Parts: sequence; structure tokens; C-alpha cells
Amino acid sequence: MDAIHTYSFLFHFCLVAALAFPLLSFVLSFYISEKYSWITSVLASFLLLLGTLASAVVLYQAWNHPPFAYRLEWFSLAGYSFSAGVYINNISALMLFIVTGVSFLVHLYSVGYMAGDAGIQRYFAMLGFFTFAMQGIVVSGNLLMTFVFWELVGFSSYMLIGHWHEIPAAAEASKRAFIINRVGDAGFLVGLMIVWAHGHSFDIAALQHMPVDPTWMTLASLGIFCGIVGKSAQFPLFTWLPDAMVGPTPVSALIHAATMVAAGVFLLARVHFLFTVPALHIVAVVGCITALLGAVSALAQHDIKKILAYSTLSQLGLMVVALGAGSPQAALLHLFTHAFFKACLFLAAGAVIHSLHQAQHQSHVHFDVQDIRNLGGLEKKLPFTFLIFVISGSALAGLPLTSGFLSKDAILTALVQWHGEGFSWKLLILAAVALVSFLTVVYTFRMIWKIFKGSETATAQLHISEPPAVMRAPMAVLAGVSLWIWFSWNPFNFYGWMYTNIGEAKPFHSGMVSIASAIWVILALGVAYVTRQVTVGSPLLLNAFYFDRLLKQFVEKPILQLAALTHHADKKWIDGFLHATAYAQLIVAHLTGWFDRAIVDGLVDGVAGAAKGLGSFTRSFQGGKIQLYIFWATFAIIIFIIWTLL
Amino acid sequence: MQQYLLSLLLFTPLLAALLSLFLPATSTATFRIITVVVNVLQVMFLLVLLLNYQAGAGLQFVELKPWITLNMGNWGILKASYFVGVDGLSLPLVALAVFILFIATIASWKITQNVKGYFILLLILNAAIIGSFTALDFLLFYLFFEFMLLPMFFLIALWGGPKREYASIKFFLYTLLGSILILIVMIALYVSVHDPSTSGQLVHSFNLLHMADASNFISTSVLDPHRALQLGPFSARTWAFLLLFFGFAIKLPMVPVHTWLPDAHVEAPTPISVILAALLLKIGGYGLARIAFPIFPDAAFHLGWFVGLMGVISIIYGGLNAMASKDLKRLIAYSSVSHMGFVLLGLASFTAEGTAGAVYQMFSHGLISAMLFVLAGVLADRTNDRTISHYSGLAGKMPTYTAFILVAFFASLGLPGFSGFIAEIMVFLGAFKSAGLGGPLHESLAIVATLGLVIGAAYYLWTLQRMFFGPLNVKGDFSVDQLSDLNRREYFILLPLALAILFFGIFPQPLMSVIDPYAQHFAAFVLETGKNLTLTP
Repeated sequence: MDAIHTYSFLFHFCLVAALAFPLLSFVLSFYISEKYSWITSVLASFLLLLGTLASAVVLYQAWNHPPFAYRLEWFSLAGYSFSAGVYINNISALMLFIVTGVSFLVHLYSVGYMAGDAGIQRYFAMLGFFTFAMQGIVVSGNLLMTFVFWELVGFSSYMLIGHWHEIPAAAEASKRAFIINRVGDAGFLVGLMIVWAHGHSFDIAALQHMPVDPTWMTLASLGIFCGIVGKSAQFPLFTWLPDAMVGPTPVSALIHAATMVAAGVFLLARVHFLFTVPALHIVAVVGCITALLGAVSALAQHDIKKILAYSTLSQLGLMVVALGAGSPQAALLHLFTHAFFKACLFLAAGAVIHSLHQAQHQSHVHFDVQDIRNLGGLEKKLPFTFLIFVISGSALAGLPLTSGFLSKDAILTALVQWHGEGFSWKLLILAAVALVSFLTVVYTFRMIWKIFKGSETATAQLHISEPPAVMRAPMAVLAGVSLWIWFSWNPFNFYGWMYTNIGEAKPFHSGMVSIASAIWVILALGVAYVTRQVTVGSPLLLNAFYFDRLLKQFVEKPILQLAALTHHADKKWIDGFLHATAYAQLIVAHLTGWFDRAIVDGLVDGVAGAAKGLGSFTRSFQGGKIQLYIFWATFAIIIFIIWTLL
Repeated sequence: MQQYLLSLLLFTPLLAALLSLFLPATSTATFRIITVVVNVLQVMFLLVLLLNYQAGAGLQFVELKPWITLNMGNWGILKASYFVGVDGLSLPLVALAVFILFIATIASWKITQNVKGYFILLLILNAAIIGSFTALDFLLFYLFFEFMLLPMFFLIALWGGPKREYASIKFFLYTLLGSILILIVMIALYVSVHDPSTSGQLVHSFNLLHMADASNFISTSVLDPHRALQLGPFSARTWAFLLLFFGFAIKLPMVPVHTWLPDAHVEAPTPISVILAALLLKIGGYGLARIAFPIFPDAAFHLGWFVGLMGVISIIYGGLNAMASKDLKRLIAYSSVSHMGFVLLGLASFTAEGTAGAVYQMFSHGLISAMLFVLAGVLADRTNDRTISHYSGLAGKMPTYTAFILVAFFASLGLPGFSGFIAEIMVFLGAFKSAGLGGPLHESLAIVATLGLVIGAAYYLWTLQRMFFGPLNVKGDFSVDQLSDLNRREYFILLPLALAILFFGIFPQPLMSVIDPYAQHFAAFVLETGKNLTLTP
């Protein structure tokens, strides 16, 4: 099959190192004394840098080579092996590099952003662990291993979203994120059970040859898709993602870009072969709903981070649509480009928040710095951040010359190809995706305009300065890689070195799509400029169609009521029954007691009493008086004589 | 020494209890030291046992000595033996017992009231638990099984909380009922089974291995598998299985016969809670796997769906109840109900995965529940108040405590990396594939059981949110100053538990290789025999 390719020792070493450094960062964080907790932040960043270098070597060595597969038995049972497998091909090597690299940049940025935070050790420890867990998903060649790291990603996101645990909203959001993810994971587990029952292997390579009847295959793939819906915040399990914005902003950058939500799309691409056609249709529809829902909700938000959160939702929806349309490489290309520009946007947003917080701290003015209605005209005070925002925002909007344009183009092309000729429901999806890309431009432009253009309002009196270099550097790097050049030489052709090497390239590319897409976004930009002053005040959109409230009302409340009912059942019915039997026994005991006393004892007492009476009666004969004896003797003789005579 | 290893394990605590009887009650430290010495000795015996144990070699360290032989004339000969041994089912549980009993001794350091009585009862309990896990003679098993009841009753009734009398009597009556159900079956089995090794004379034996062989049943006896005596709706063997099932299910505990557990836990002192959750519950699952299933595989096969269904009901009902609990200890108790449901589901799957998962779950839950109850005890020691709503924001005040709580909660909700995950995933895999192998469980049971995972996450994280996160705030009859972080003793009780949970979550192979041969044998045996016996009229 594949040409035998022996991987060098360096490759093995670097692969282990790439994963070991983040884990080491997690472990070491516990050993640094609290007094020098700032060391943690520097050390963690340094370790992640080493990890990034190692993963770069892995990428270089594995790129366009036969896949590297390695299986290590984790445990065995009944002759079946549960292995911890590693599988590195172009996709996973690239993803590994991106995950580690973005995480390193986020680490570096956090050195500045989180300086002085009381829980800084815990923060960097979990950041390292988060990265490690995500890397685990990326390199895993085994679905069980993927599931393990999948849940660990959930756990570390729980810890990070709830980093400021004193804030009730943070505690609430982290809890929700984990539980909603768990709902998806339960579905994932069902998928695993089906796979195991039919194939007795979790090895992804082996599963490709698994003979399974289509119904079970569809169910298995939909089960796994449930997990993806949870982790990649798809409809209907998306509410945790906007709520998760209460976490530190660098964490949001990580969650939204390279880790966590990316995991779902990545897995979907990896096990794409398991999905049957009906399953893929469901995938496409779910993705489409999510993309639309995210885009229209983003229009009405006025919290910077919420806008970005809903935009992530919408972009993830696009990726999932592309996967549903049978084009994993388009989805992956968008995943990779998105990883950079979304991380960049979050870091830039964090820079605004950080700078304003610092300024507020000095002047004791208080307003919500994340609310874009309070912002405006920051272009002059934060020129660097503005530039970064514009570049990464353009990439999000998919303007030409950015990476986002390429990947969005890839998705649109895939959809055009998918829907084929004639009219079908697939055309609706294509139309919806076009609408989403239009809306993306509108809300992105509006956000940047509101923050940086116009006149300053609440911030006018503040002395605002750009964030420190340690924060600016990662932003600059990420903005740099948001340009097209890293993905394809030709800014209007996504068929670059990356796209053609992350899947079987389909010989279909229409220049028409690129041109139409370019015109479409320019048009959208115009519309956005014209309508920049119009605010979308719809509370329905602001609350994302009240979906979390619906969940609360129709899922959470009934479950709590059910819980109360079981409590009641235990107390009143089961224990009540017990107590009733206990009382019944008591009553029976009393009855038997009474029977004993009144009847049995009564009888015995009666006999005894009779004997006693007789005894005292006869005793009375023997009074000791001689006259009496003579009397009774005479009496007896008389009786005797009468008796013999008769 | 090897051939007496189990006896050493078993009789050391009994001898120590006897010795303690003759010591003056005033020297309190002596009793503690004696118990610790016993624990250390047991650990040493256990190590020798583990080093010499050969996975896959079936029963080992067997001791078979005549114990009671009574010639009953026409009724044959009654023969009970001192018959002990360990295999892949009992070894993990014996190891768990030795470990947890050690932890419980250290956790008992704070007991000041009637120290002599307390430690003597603890030692008797120790022997009874080890005995229950190693006995292979039904009469011997029953003796140890009953022997656990009494010390437990007094330990709750005398050293317990305010409602201890109610709780202890409830515990006693419930488990006594279970014992009676088991006793009935034991007598029926005794008259139905003969010892195949003796020819000529009719010898009734209590040997569990003999009972598990269908050919040892006396033909036309009440439980003869080839006779299929009908008693009402079920055959006699089905009745017997049901009696055993409920007898052990009370101990497990299974919904709806579980209500003794929350009360007993809430009132019991911390170390007793630990023993109760970590070890006593396991005897329910152990009894099913050792006695009920192998002796009545036909009935088990027939009623497997029922056992699995009750497992799923326990998982979900227990979880929901945990969610509604207002007391931390009660919550943990209900989570035990939920987790022990997995044992039922796994055993009823009749697959190697399910069985291994069930045994792994018993072991893992032993560690996790011990940790949870120690943690609940820490809080109760500080404030005498375990009401969840009385606390908020403890994470800032008690960081180390919170770290351990996080470990225990996430381990209990089945996060990968902790031992519970391995157990639960194995149970799920086994339960789901049961139907495909001709086993008794429908696929939907495993699917519904996954709800338990979500509910588990919900009640633990909700508790974390309510008690540990948010601003620091307390209500009730105590002040914030009482909330000191873990002291050294508590830390060193919790640390080994946490490490063990982590170890068996990351490296399952050492334990799995012990369980594996047993699980394969058990699943194949109950499935094959169950099917075949059901087919013969």
C-alpha cells in the first residue's frame, strides 16, 4: 500500500516533545512557590515555544510523507486490545503545529494580560493542560483515545472559563459549558458503543474497513456527531459558547480558535468516512442552522466578546456545512485560517479591554468596557490595535487578499459543486451560506467602526495606552498569518499548497465563484457602511432566539422537578411504605401482646387464681382451733354417712 | 506461609480484637496502635499475595479444611468447610478492603468516645469483610456476611449522628431482610446439592463451586435445573435467583431497596461511612457475581433484562435524587446508588467487557466513594454542618480542600484519567454489545444509561458551583474562621486515595489483567450455561 517510510529518531523525539512540553508546563506549575508565581507565566510560555518548535519539526518531517501510525496497547480485555494510537498525516501534523503555535502565542499574550492575577499558577497550569488535551485529540489515531482527550478538553475548558470563580456568572457559565458538552459526549459514547459492537476496534485506520450495515453506520456517525455538536457549539447545543465569554479573554481566544471548538470540526473531518449520506445531510442542515443563527445573532450584540462568540458560532456552522457537503478539506482550510484570524480578533479585543481596564483603574471611572456602545474613536489612542483589528476583521469578513477569503471561497465552491444541477434543498443551504457570508461582513465592519471610528464617549477622559509588547507581538504574528500568502500564492485561488495536500483534491475550481464571492463581499461592505448607524435592537436576536431560556424552561426545570419527585418518592413512598409496615408490625405486636396478657395470661392467671382460692379455702379449715376440727370432722362423717346411705 | 496467607489476613484482626478485650479501656492509644499494627500486617500479607498471584490461574491461595461434618442419618451428611481462596473477582476487592480499612483506621484517630469498643468492633468488621470476599463455602460466607452486620449496627448506633438510632435500625432491618432472603436460598441449595467427590453416601455440601455445577444437583430436588419445578409464575430456580438477587441488591443498594443507605451514611461517623460505601456495598455486587449468577445462570439469563433494567433505573434515579439532595453526605450516598447501578448493568450484559467493567467499577467506586466521604467528613468536622446551601465560595478559603474535591468530583462523574471512566466505558461497551451476542440486554438500556453521565456531571458541578465558587459566604451556626484548610492527617489520608484513583485511571492494565481471565470465564460460563439450561426442559 503505502511506501515504507521510516521516520527518523528526530521525528519521534519531537512528536513526544511537542506533547510533553505543555504537559510539563501543567505539572511544573504546581511546584513553583506562590511568591514567585510570575515565573510560571514565563516558564509556561517558554515551554510552549519549545513545543511549537518541536511540532514544526514534526510538520516538516511528516508533510507529504506516508502517514505515521503507532499503536501502544493501553490495556487489553478478552483478547481485544484497547490501544493508544498515534496517527500523523498532513492534516494532523498541520493541526498539531497550529494548535501548539496559537497556544504559545496565547501563552505569551497572557503573560501581559494576566499579570498580577491571584490565580496565575492555576491559569497557566490549565492553559498547558488544555493545549495538551487538544494535541491529544489531534494526534490520536484511536476513537477511544480521542474520546479521552475530548473529555479532558471539556474539563480544562471548565477550569479556564471558570477561572475567576468568585464571579457567580463565571461559575455558572463554566458549569453550563461542561454539562452541555457532556450531553454531546453521551451521544459520542453511543457512537463508540455501536462502533465497538460491530467492529471491536477503535482504531480509525481499521474502522475504514469495518463492515457495518448502513443503519447502524448512520446511527454511529450521528452519535459521534452529537459529540461534535456539543464541542463545536452547533445547534442546539451552542448556548454555552456565548456564555463562556466570562472567562479571561486569552482563554476565549484559545477556545474559539485552535482548541475546543476546533476539535469537533477536526474530528468530523477525520472520521468523515464513517458518515453515510443521510447522516451527512443532517450534518449539513445542522451546520446551516448554526451558521445562520450565529450570524443574525451577532448583528444585535453589543458586547465585543459576544459579537466574536456568535461569529465563531457562525463560522463553525460554515465548516460543518462544508463537511456535510462532503468536502472535509474546505472545512479544514477554513478551520486553519479561522484559527489564526479568530485568535487574533480575540487577542485584539482583549487588548482593547486590557487597555481600557488599565485606564479605568487609574482614573476610577467605571463603565462596561466590553460594551461597544460605550466605545468609539479609539483609532487614535490605539492605532496598533486598530490595525490588527482591521486585518483580522477583514479575514473574518472574507475580504480579498485575506486568508478568510480563500477558505470561504473553498467552502462556497464545495457547496456549488455539491448542489449540482437543478433545484433542490441544497440550493437553500447554498443561499443561506451566501447570506451568512454577507452578514459576516456587516457585523464585523459594524463592530470595528463602533470601537475605533466616530467620536469618543465614555473613554474621552481616559488616558489610554497600547498594551505591552508581550501582548502586541502575538497579535502582530497572528495578523500576519491572516493574510492569503501563507495558504496560497494566488490570492484568488484557494488551490494552494495547503488545500491540495489535506485531502483528495477534487478537480473542480471555478473562477466564477471567486469573482462572485469577491463582488458579494464588496457589496456587503458597501451595505455595511451605509447602514453603520442602524442598530439592530431586536431582543430576540440579542438573546439568540432565547434558546438558553428555552433550554432552562423545557429541559432544566423538568429535570429538577423530576429530581424533586424522586426525592419525594424516596421520602414519602418508599420510606413511607417501610414505616407503614413497621407500624403494622407494631400493631400486630401490640395485639399479640394484648392476647398474651388478656387471654393466655388470663387463662394461666385464672387457673392460678382458682388454685389459690381453693388453697385459701382449704387453708381456712386449719385454723388451729380444736373445736373447729371436731366440727369439720363431724360434718365430714355426717356427709360420709349420708353418701353411704344413699 | 503462602498457603496460610488468606487465613493470616483473616485471623490477624480477630486475634487483635480478642487481645484488645483484655486490655484496660483507659489506655486509648493502645487500641489505635493495635489496629494500625493489624493494618500494616495486612498490607504486608497483601503484598506477598499480590506478588505471588498468577493472573489467569483461576482460584489461588485456596485453603480447604473440614469445618462442620454432621451425620444426619437418612438426611445425609451435612458438610461445611473452611474454604477460602481468591480469583480475579475477589483479589481486587480484598486489596481494596485492606487499603480502605487502613485509611479508615487513620480516619478514626479523632474518635474519643469509648475507644476500646470502637476499635474492637472495627477489627471484627475488618475480619468479616475480608472473610466475605474470600469465603468459597456458602455457610462460611453467610457467617461472615452476618458478622458484618452487628459491628456496623453498633458503630452507627453508638458513634453516629443525631438520628443514629433510626438510621441504624433501618440499616439493620433492611440488611437483615436481605440476609433472610439469602438464608432461604442457602437452605434450598443445601438440600439440592451433593458433593460429587464422595461416592456412596449422600453428602450435602455448601461448596459454592459445587453449587455452580448443574450436574451436582440431586435429581428431583427442589432446585434441580433439569426438573424445572414451577411455583406459581416462576420456576423454583427463578424464585431462588430472585431471592438472592434482592438479598444482595439491598446491600448494593439498588433502587427501590436503597433508602437505608442515605440515612446510614448521614448518621454514620466518617470512617464508618467510608467502610460502608467503599466495602460493604461491594459485597452486594460480589455476592451477585460469586453466588447468584454462577449458581443460577439459567434464571440470570432469563431475568438478565430485569437486572439490567434495575441497574439503569438505579443509575438515573440515584442521580436525580443526588441532584435533589440538600446535604452533602446524602448527595454522595445517592451518587453511590447511581454508580452501583453500573455494576448491575455490567454483570447483566453477560459479556467480558461488562463483567470486567462491573468489577472495575466496584474497585474504582471503593476508592472514589472513600475519598468523597472523607472529604464530606472534613467539612463536618469543622462546622458540624453539611447543608450544601450553607456554604458558598469555599475555594478561596480552603484551596487544598477544593483541589481534592475537584479530583473526587470529576473522578466520580467519570472523567477520563480517573479510574471510574475505565469502569463505566467497559460497562457501556459490554451492555451495548450484549444483544448482538445473544445476551439478555437490549441496546436501548446502554443508550438510556448514558443519561447517567449527564446527570452525574450536573449534580457534581452544581454542587461545586454552589459550595465552592462564588463569593465566600456561610450561613448556619458556625463562622468562617472554623473553615480551616486540610490538616496534615487529612491530607495524608486523601493523597493516597487521589493517587490510586489517578493510577488506575491512567494505567488500567495491572488491574485489568487480574480481572480479565475471570471476566472472560464468567461471561462465557453464564451465557453458555444460561442458554443451555434454559433449553433443556
